[in-house]
Amino acid sequence: MKILVAVKRVADPNVKVRLRADGSGLDLAAVKMTMNPFDEIAVEEAVRLKEAGIASEVVVVSVGPDKATETLRTALAMGADRGLLVRTEATTEPLAVAKVLSAVAGEEQPALILLGKQAIDDDCNQTGQMLAAKLGWPQATFASQLAVDGDRVTVIREVDGGSQTIALTLPAIVTADLRLNEPRYASLPNIMKAKKKPLEERQASDYGLVIEERLEVVRLEEPPTRAAGIKVKSVAELVERLKTEAGVLA
Amino acid sequence: MIHADDGSLSQEQRLMRDSCRAFVDDAVTPFIRSNWQREWDMSPGERLPRSILEGAETIGVRTLGVPEAYGGVDLERETEVRTFALISEEIARGDSGLADKLVQNWKVSILLREFAPKHLQDKWFPRLLADPQFLLAHCLTEPRGASDRWLPYNVPEAAMHTKAVLKDGHWVINGRKQFISNGFDASLYVVYANTDSSVGMLQGTSSFLVPRDTPGLTVTKCNETMGCRFMNNGELVFEDCRVPADHLLVQNTALGSAGQYFRAGKIIQAAKNLGVGVACFERTADYVQNYVQGGRILIKHQAVALRLADMATRIEAVRALIERASRAVDEGHPDMDVLCNMAKVYASEEIMKVATHALELHGGNGAMLEFGIEKLFRDAAIFLHMDATVDVSRMKIIKTMFPATAGKYAGPEN
Ligand SMILES: Cc1cc2nc3c(=O)[nH]c(=O)nc-3n(C[C@H](O)[C@H](O)[C@H](O)COP(=O)(O)OP(=O)(O)OC[C@H]3O[C@@H](n4cnc5c(N)ncnc54)[C@H](O)[C@@H]3O)c2cc1C
Ligand SMILES: Cc1cc2nc3c(=O)[nH]c(=O)nc-3n(C[C@H](O)[C@H](O)[C@H](O)COP(=O)(O)OP(=O)(O)OC[C@H]3O[C@@H](n4cnc5c(N)ncnc54)[C@H](O)[C@@H]3O)c2cc1C
Repeated sequence: MKILVAVKRVADPNVKVRLRADGSGLDLAAVKMTMNPFDEIAVEEAVRLKEAGIASEVVVVSVGPDKATETLRTALAMGADRGLLVRTEATTEPLAVAKVLSAVAGEEQPALILLGKQAIDDDCNQTGQMLAAKLGWPQATFASQLAVDGDRVTVIREVDGGSQTIALTLPAIVTADLRLNEPRYASLPNIMKAKKKPLEERQASDYGLVIEERLEVVRLEEPPTRAAGIKVKSVAELVERLKTEAGVLA
Repeated sequence: MIHADDGSLSQEQRLMRDSCRAFVDDAVTPFIRSNWQREWDMSPGERLPRSILEGAETIGVRTLGVPEAYGGVDLERETEVRTFALISEEIARGDSGLADKLVQNWKVSILLREFAPKHLQDKWFPRLLADPQFLLAHCLTEPRGASDRWLPYNVPEAAMHTKAVLKDGHWVINGRKQFISNGFDASLYVVYANTDSSVGMLQGTSSFLVPRDTPGLTVTKCNETMGCRFMNNGELVFEDCRVPADHLLVQNTALGSAGQYFRAGKIIQAAKNLGVGVACFERTADYVQNYVQGGRILIKHQAVALRLADMATRIEAVRALIERASRAVDEGHPDMDVLCNMAKVYASEEIMKVATHALELHGGNGAMLEFGIEKLFRDAAIFLHMDATVDVSRMKIIKTMFPATAGKYAGPEN
């Protein structure tokens, strides 16, 4: 069974990002970038399936800039077998990525495609779903547990207020939620070994596609800064303010 | 916070640094933060808990320097020392003592891969790989002083007191070693001893491989140190300690041959102290942007801002010199010895100043165990004397630059 995993290069969630002075976007020039954390979970799951003898090959694919090869190398160091970069300098919107991934899936013929449930930069939460629609495959989003048995995959999904168990027939699409697993570190020996693994670079045009930016960002704003706290003189005043200002007491 | 990414690092180097950073943030820093106060109460066995070394194992950071054939990390040799420096800095940013524990393994592994006979590499490297608690140590220093090892007075008077004699197919070692990093809990030691008392130490010192369980080797104590307390520094006594003849690594010229160890070692150690400086800066930058005095956060007081700028500048200057020195070692540049000693001495004194600023900017909190700033200060302070004192390092620089004048030994004390 071949597994395809999609990974995106995003700003490290541990760093504070700033807006460009003109508000047109984020200033990422000096920001540390990393693999989207939900994609790390997807890669980990694929590698575990391979280690368990269920998957035969794990292919990682990224649609993004040259530097996304680094993200792919990380996935290779975690245990994926080979990488594919579909290079673009454009902002990667979910629909464009879904189109590329569906073309890649056409060539690679994976039994299972794993993605993160969303990318932590644009928080779209759409790529997996759009890809399922384009391919006409069954999908399970927000997976917190996954078991493959023959041509069936059983997934426990995180849904509002609980969990839902569904069974899909392969080929299928699963998007990873936080609790699916705890991804491993790319270890130093494996980073060196990953260097020797194949990593192919393509253009969208190789698949007869054009990566379009269909959304226009009108403006970005920092969240409002929190107003300073105040000191109250008495418990009575505290209760009063919690009622009238904070609205947390009736 | 300060992240050198000038494009000179390879992709692999950046990924390695990121893995180390993630491990430190996830596992090391939380442990250190919840144990500031306990550092002084823990027994050597608790320093550090097994889980931290096992965690270090998951990123494969304990066995750098071990050849790939034995399952070690196959670093690019052309940039190996630079890579060591990067990783050492990242680990020490979490804890300088942990870095010391680990880097000692890298340094000694380099010696083993260069000088140990193949059958002994076949024996020991797999054991090192198999056990996350397996540590290595390098034993030069003796009660009668270590500066002579760094600045060798090539006269019989300066020779090592520890002696080894070949008898019936075994080397018999007698003497003491002190201040040895990992000395208390290492499984395998490289030991230097005098093997020819008729010549100077450069011609008469040999090195040996001594397994911990060799009869005649006693680990006599764990030193309680001012800093790097999570590395167990120890003292050893050798009493008719017999190792097979093939455990000789380098005969008579061991100190010269150890250049492999010393050069990489100085860079690794300097980078370790840089990591302490980065931790000082990150903690302080955070503190002064949150703590209020005089009605505003500290960083808005210009005197505070100026100190913070000074910290950042010194850190970057140390980093630049370490980069230059490590490149020199990787390239085998003729100035590499001078640069290594410069990097070591500069990293020790500049980071001490950085730590002093951190202490100052934390006010009274800086002096309290529960804030962990005094720990960074102690970790920086102990480094002044590791791998040669400040003054001896400086003399070494000048002796190497001017061998015909400064390098000439004036003669023994009468
Ligand atoms: C935490 C720690 C870890 C260590 N780990 C190891 C280890 O793993 N293995 C190991 O072998 N050793 C180790 N050492 C020992 C270390 O290398 C020595 O402590 C260091 O080189 C200084 O030597 P010393 O203590 O004998 O001081 P001394 O040589 O006695 O120095 C005392 C003073 O005299 C000065 N001095 C000495 N000689 C001269 C001279 N010729 N000219 C001018 N000034 C001079 C020195 O600069 C210093 O100010 C460690 C030490 C520490 C503190
Ligand atoms: C061992 C010890 C014993 C002590 N004993 C006593 C005691 O018996 N009684 C007692 O009352 N107190 C005591 N103290 C408290 C001591 O007086 C204060 O810690 C000290 O004055 C520093 O104040 P702070 O800790 O609030 O630091 P801060 O005032 O918060 O200082 C933090 C940093 O900000 C800088 N800074 C602050 N304000 C400004 C400004 N306006 N402009 C520029 N820079 C500024 C400081 O120079 C410092 O670098 C003790 C402290 C210690 C460590």
